[in-house]
Amino acid sequence: MTQLTDAAAARAEEVPHLPPPSRGYRLMRGTGLTLVWLGALTLGFVAHQLWITTFFANQNQTELVAALEEHFESAEIVEVPYVPVVPPGETPPPEDRSIVSGALGAPELLRSEAPPEEGAAFAEIRIPSLPSLEDGWAIVEGVSLRDLKNGAGHMPWTPLPGQPGNSVISGHRTTYGQPFHDLDLVEIGDVIEVETALGTHMYSVKEIHVVEPTDVWVTDPRAGAWLTLTTCNPKFSARERLIVVAELIEGPNAEVILGRL
Amino acid sequence: MRRIYRALPGPTPVRIITSIVIVGVALVALHFFYEWVGSSFLDTGGTVG
Repeated sequence: MTQLTDAAAARAEEVPHLPPPSRGYRLMRGTGLTLVWLGALTLGFVAHQLWITTFFANQNQTELVAALEEHFESAEIVEVPYVPVVPPGETPPPEDRSIVSGALGAPELLRSEAPPEEGAAFAEIRIPSLPSLEDGWAIVEGVSLRDLKNGAGHMPWTPLPGQPGNSVISGHRTTYGQPFHDLDLVEIGDVIEVETALGTHMYSVKEIHVVEPTDVWVTDPRAGAWLTLTTCNPKFSARERLIVVAELIEGPNAEVILGRL
Repeated sequence: MRRIYRALPGPTPVRIITSIVIVGVALVALHFFYEWVGSSFLDTGGTVG
């Protein structure tokens, strides 16, 4: 024991006595450590955006899909007169055809449901040609930051899917469940299905655009019944918007709307 | 990290449990911080990311 202690003391004497670290050294060390922590914090943020938000969005989707089934069973369906949509810059027809142009002079009726409350799931979107949207995503009413954290959101100032005009649905591309992650793989002619309390509305893709975020004309009303999907472009950036425009081809209201075009 | 762990009071099992609680609280705080950063500095509108 004494020998060990002596040996340790001898080694300690051999170690050169280091001077205390200078102020510059301490400053450099502190700066380096701060940068390392900031880097870790930034990497954590990226991981949070890409994976943690998707984890929570998927959890929310499970709840929304369950709520959607209840909504489909309990939603009140009404019939309303068909009023053709007049796109901006076009003149309306000379007479109110919605009242008098039915086969026997009676108005043609569309099936409709009451506008959903903001944040509530009211529809499901499926794109069979896209693996990420093959099984469907619940659509909530609203496109606020909170709404889109749950998945795809319907712009409340546009008609509901299956109704005349231009129904617009937005979704994240790389975060919060990334419902529209593969939207760039959609091709002209692909089918988009939107299931609501009225039934399944089927649309055929007619146009694909990449526009600036300020190009809000993509949400303008259109004659007939259209569905516009919007998301960020390119992936991992909000620099542009990818727009997919599809026309109604089949569904509970298709016969009335398409027959009147 | 090691210094913080050693500064925790109590025997080893208590230190471990305290460490887990501290890490859990830190992760929850980080989650809300990242949510705030994401919605305050990244989002530019309705359709983002």
